[in-house]
Amino acid sequence: MRRYVTAGIVLILAAAAALLCGNSAIGAGDVLRTLAGNGTRAQQVIVFQVRLPRIAAALLSGAALSVSGYLLQNNLNNAVASPGLLGINNGAGLFVLISALVFPYQAGMKCVMAFAGALAVTLLVSLLSSGTGLSKTSVILSGVAVSAVCVAAADVIISVRPETVADKTAFQLGGFGDVSLTTVSIAAPVIVTMLALAFVLAGGMDLMALGDEVAQGLGVHVRMYRLIYLLCASLLAGAAVSMSGMIGFVGLMVPNLVRMVHRGKSRGGIALCMMVGSAFLLLCDTLARAIVFPYELPCGLLLSALGAPFLIWMLVRKRKRLGVND
Amino acid sequence: MIEIRNMTTSYGRGELFRVAGLTLKTGEITAVIGRNGSGKSTLLKTLAGFLKYQGSITIRGRECRDYSARERAREIAWLSQMLKTVQMDVETLAEHGRYPHHGSTRRMGDADREKVKEALRMTGMEKMAKRSLQELSGGERQRAYLAMVIAQDTPMILLDEPTTYMDLVYQKTFFEILQRLKQSGRGIVLSVHHLEQCFAFCDSICLMDQRTLVRKATPEEWAKDTDTLRAVFGIEMKKTEDRELMYPYMIRR
Repeated sequence: MRRYVTAGIVLILAAAAALLCGNSAIGAGDVLRTLAGNGTRAQQVIVFQVRLPRIAAALLSGAALSVSGYLLQNNLNNAVASPGLLGINNGAGLFVLISALVFPYQAGMKCVMAFAGALAVTLLVSLLSSGTGLSKTSVILSGVAVSAVCVAAADVIISVRPETVADKTAFQLGGFGDVSLTTVSIAAPVIVTMLALAFVLAGGMDLMALGDEVAQGLGVHVRMYRLIYLLCASLLAGAAVSMSGMIGFVGLMVPNLVRMVHRGKSRGGIALCMMVGSAFLLLCDTLARAIVFPYELPCGLLLSALGAPFLIWMLVRKRKRLGVND
Repeated sequence: MIEIRNMTTSYGRGELFRVAGLTLKTGEITAVIGRNGSGKSTLLKTLAGFLKYQGSITIRGRECRDYSARERAREIAWLSQMLKTVQMDVETLAEHGRYPHHGSTRRMGDADREKVKEALRMTGMEKMAKRSLQELSGGERQRAYLAMVIAQDTPMILLDEPTTYMDLVYQKTFFEILQRLKQSGRGIVLSVHHLEQCFAFCDSICLMDQRTLVRKATPEEWAKDTDTLRAVFGIEMKKTEDRELMYPYMIRR
């Protein structure tokens, strides 16, 4: 229980810091007054149209990417599986660019295409690695290969039609600079629904950790559950990418950090991933805004700086389990 | 009660597995014996509903394939021979045995908790309830999984080579647990390689050979028909009443 309370307090503090921090000099009192409905017009625009949507996007993206990573890692029985490494984020990103080409003025299509891209990559990676029984190495290699193709295709689109993205670097690295209330309001229901579904069906995942046969013997429809979990993971990653671009490493780091402190049932793991992921991404975004003030770093850049050493540390620590003997 | 009539299952490279007729009752321990690849696991997996079959398998008069996965898991419990060592404590593992009763959406109630406690008590894992599976020996882990299966509280329990990782003392304890389960009215079907054990503790023995059920008979009947056993295993056997042996019934000559 203590770890949930700690994660909750950190999350609240991170949200408060994100609300108070920004390029415009608004004090804590002004923010509170504006939230109470007594702020000036300019303050209302800053708080309600810039900072709150950004906080909501970071909260939702953090929760979505972390839970997506948690679902992928548990289902593929692979500690380094994450929406970033499996190419799901890049697939969603590519489809977002395609939507900007084909449906330039429809924000809703951006989300739908992100979901389609995430799903397409998940299916493709599963198909490519299914020949070897979804072995750890083949899943990661397939993910890396599909990811490279998606990145190359996205680069081609951005080079030929640069107008498809407002900020190329921010999109490729991921960040919350361009977040709007419209994008958040389209992605939020999908994320909330998928998080709820993953939370409700988490019991099956605990059983599947014991092996497919044992789970089947306990009455779990293993194939159906696995499909639902992968669908949830893809849609969560797709929805996050539609808001924040191709943000990486959150889905890798957070579930692994959570698993270090939580060894109980998956439902608790999902709840912790949601809180820790949200707080982590909020803090990273706030730090990215504060670190070179008044300029702003893309949040994804900071995450890459943290994520790459984390991955190396994991590879060293769990070398045996990462499929050396696969 | 499980009844099999003219059942065939195809597996592997299209190999056929056949059982013409077999009845498995509750309140009885039935051993399935045979050489490697004779179809012991296939029989248990088919009964557990993992493999598609032609013909008929009825559980309490209802066709096995008509049960949903959870309904079937409330009738038949299954323990695989491949047990994973995961990051999970023994109590949580035993609690998973209640899944067929409460599913994903309902929480465990007092009755569920009582069943888990009883299963841990029965298997002697009460004191190790909070220990991780990773800290247990092979035999202890097998007992932890057995606690899960007992907590499932089904009329029939299928165990695929359950004594593989147990030392002699654990094996004896294990069969004593099975006796208690039998006395509580449950039917147990287990595949084993040690003939001494099944001749000493089981009520009936199914002999499998070349993916076919040869015959189901009591240990006493098999003791009179050692020719069939010799034909299948290629080993001479004899009945003994030597009290110095842990399993004083059937030994290799």
